Amino acid sequence: MDILVASKVHKSYGNKANRQEVLKGVDLNVQKAEFVSIMGASGSGKTTLLNVLSSIDQATGGTIHIVEKEITRLKEKQLAEFRKNHLGFIFQDYNLLDTLTVKENILLPLSITKTPQKEAHQRFDTLAKDLGIYEIKNKYPNEISGGQKQRTSAARAFIHEPDIIFADEPTGALDSKSASDLLNKLSHLNQTRNATILMVTHDAVAASYCSRVVFIKDGQIYTQLYKGDQDRQRFFQDIIKTQGILGGVQNDFK
Amino acid sequence: MTLSNLVIRNLKKNIKYYYLYIFALVFSVSLYFSFVTLQYDPSMDAAGNTVKGAAAIKAASLLLVAIVSIFLLYANTIFIKRRGKEIGLFQLIGMTKSRIFRLLTLENFILYFLSIIIGIFIGFSFSKVTVMILFKVTGVAAITKLHFSTEALVQTIIVFCIIYIFIMLMNYIFIKRQTILSLFRITSSTQARVKKMSVWEIIIGIVGIVFIISGYFISSKLFSGSFQTMNMLFMAMISILSLVIIGTYLFYKGSVSFLFNLIRKKKNGYININQVLSLSSIMFRMKSNSILLTIITTVSALAIGLLCLSYISYYSAEKTAKETVPADFTFAHSEDAEAFSKLLNKQEIAYKEERIPVIQADFNVKNILNDIPGESTLDSTKMQLPVISEEYVKGVSLSKEEVAFTRYSSALEKFINLKSKGTISILVNGSSLSLNYVGQKDLFLIPYTFTSGGLPTVIVDSSVFHLLEKNMDESIQTPSTLYIGMTINKNNELVAADKLYQQLAFEGYDTISRYDRIQSQKEMMGLTMFIVGFLGLTFLITSGCILYFKQMDEGEEEKYTYTILRKLGYTQNDLLNGIKIKQLFNFGIPLLVGLLHSYFAVQSGWFFFGTELWAPMFIVMGLYAVLYSIFGILSVAFYKKIIADAL
Repeated sequence: MDILVASKVHKSYGNKANRQEVLKGVDLNVQKAEFVSIMGASGSGKTTLLNVLSSIDQATGGTIHIVEKEITRLKEKQLAEFRKNHLGFIFQDYNLLDTLTVKENILLPLSITKTPQKEAHQRFDTLAKDLGIYEIKNKYPNEISGGQKQRTSAARAFIHEPDIIFADEPTGALDSKSASDLLNKLSHLNQTRNATILMVTHDAVAASYCSRVVFIKDGQIYTQLYKGDQDRQRFFQDIIKTQGILGGVQNDFK
Repeated sequence: MTLSNLVIRNLKKNIKYYYLYIFALVFSVSLYFSFVTLQYDPSMDAAGNTVKGAAAIKAASLLLVAIVSIFLLYANTIFIKRRGKEIGLFQLIGMTKSRIFRLLTLENFILYFLSIIIGIFIGFSFSKVTVMILFKVTGVAAITKLHFSTEALVQTIIVFCIIYIFIMLMNYIFIKRQTILSLFRITSSTQARVKKMSVWEIIIGIVGIVFIISGYFISSKLFSGSFQTMNMLFMAMISILSLVIIGTYLFYKGSVSFLFNLIRKKKNGYININQVLSLSSIMFRMKSNSILLTIITTVSALAIGLLCLSYISYYSAEKTAKETVPADFTFAHSEDAEAFSKLLNKQEIAYKEERIPVIQADFNVKNILNDIPGESTLDSTKMQLPVISEEYVKGVSLSKEEVAFTRYSSALEKFINLKSKGTISILVNGSSLSLNYVGQKDLFLIPYTFTSGGLPTVIVDSSVFHLLEKNMDESIQTPSTLYIGMTINKNNELVAADKLYQQLAFEGYDTISRYDRIQSQKEMMGLTMFIVGFLGLTFLITSGCILYFKQMDEGEEEKYTYTILRKLGYTQNDLLNGIKIKQLFNFGIPLLVGLLHSYFAVQSGWFFFGTELWAPMFIVMGLYAVLYSIFGILSVAFYKKIIADAL
């Protein structure tokens, strides 16, 4: 089942005189329980793509369907409504509220949807134990480490069991130990909960945890790699190779 | 780009932050200018003759300068911090510090002196209105004609130039001290660190509330007889002041977060959007502003309290006068009364005359006093009271053994409580005569000159009165033992009658025109109200502006929170509702605490000032609350913009 279907997505910035086209017609399908990562050099448009797909930014052309709903046509209010029920977010800089404790931060999405208290606490307990942050539930964000913050952020994305979770460079600010820890947790949740995750990263190690890697170059999809049955190490080698071919700047030596 | 170019661009960009600052500046300049104009204006002599108007207004304008300069300097620190990043950037691109200083000076100069010119202009056009308000509340009937006073202009400009120099000095020191790095850091360093509540904070929180409540408790007991000697009373007042002020500080420092934390604990982590934006933010913010909030609360409580008391006094001037002086005109000597009545007859003003002989006698009232104050200054076994005979009192008939009291002043009612029945004795020629006290009549019969200021009058049977008259103790009698009261039949002839009275120019304090008394009371209280009112208004506007500026800062610092929340799927409306609750607390808590403080201050001693508490207090407090909430509403509008920009 397709969770996300994007076709011919365009996005450009600036005015008529000075137009900068960032996305030049991207087509992308994401299936249920897939763990997809989008890779590309800086400036390739990967974060813009994520923002557009996740309804935070508006596309200038093309259509995006999430669970068969066309989000490109929704109004601001409906979009907010849609985000709270169907989407989850993990960001590079955690985006936790400083004035709320870990538990309060995680339960935030449930309080928007007015989930019953008892169920909310139950969900929190299992998820927090899963992610290993149950013990710090009453601490404030600036009392915990970066890895713990990102796991809190992940818990917040998973708690309301959204149809798809968008992660923007979730390991970008973490050291390698916390990063692999988080990615293990994410792929674990992906498998046990059948959660769909779309992650943007420039880190090949992070991408190797996924089931599919989509490469973007100059606002278009360049190629895709499927993990299939191979192990992570081999998949990692594939990714590195593709990245090498992709390169950064086109060279005109000839 | 030239310096002046940059200045104009900066001004354009920052105007939305500055508009309230400009408003407050214009307001204070115009107020100051009109006060100074009043001071120099010849038409003030009308009010000045009777009530030292000029001196009071001069003192008020000094206070005004103090309030305004503190406000301007404080606002300037907020603004310069906001622009730290910009200043750092200028330094980074190679501007020297002195050039940046020149830039800021020029920018401030334009802003500041433009507002001053506007302020003086408005001040001049409104000084007529202010004079009219002053004359209206003091009841002075004079024609308001104002001249532009150069002295006032010069004085205003000098005062505000000095403040400007101080502001520039502050900016200079600020720029001098900063390095490029620290300028970039400035906004982040002002944020309070968010941590878990410590035990210490919980203690502070509880102590704060206990302090305030015990301060209130002592204040409600202040004049109820618990504190007898002057010393104890003084100690009680000092302890109320310090308990309440320290309590207020601790309240902002700890109690608010303590209470909010209790609410949050109950939620067990499951909190909704309104609580996210209000409780959790205020919990940490109010702490860092506790000194500022304490000052704002205390001074506004003081302003509200003073305004209430002077309004109470103004409001009940007539009622108080009617209690202390029962007739329109009071005479102690029949020659004076006859001279006056001759004039009245000539002008064909109809009046009623009443003559009551009054003698002073010593009484033992110990048995009818309800709670006998321990070490009272009053000796209840030998109390000097005025006595009149029953034949002069309509509707009261007493037997030989009976005695009744009239009412006494409301201030005294707070201290002395009479039983409804009992025996009292009169001391006549060394021996005492026992009589039956039958209660209090709801009457005021003779003026304060006979009643030692407000004691009850004793009504006795005519035979007892004659007995007393024969044996009266000369040493305690008032200069005249005859009270002559004249009451004008028609109210509209009262002013004319008072004019005649003034023509005769009687001497001596026991000849009274009630109309004149009410007028002079109103003049004095009117002037007090006028001054306290305008000073209070200035303080209200400046402190409201400061709270608003603080909210502007807070809103920008919290912008990332709104971004996150909107990404999570909260609509702008959800956020705005939360902000409304937050501002209700942010502005409501200082307002409520200030109003409570002033309520307890006023209720502890209002009865010395007048007879009516509720109406004047509600009017003053209501007005204050309404004006204050305007700033709250403005800040919500500011947040609305920030939230809209957040995603």
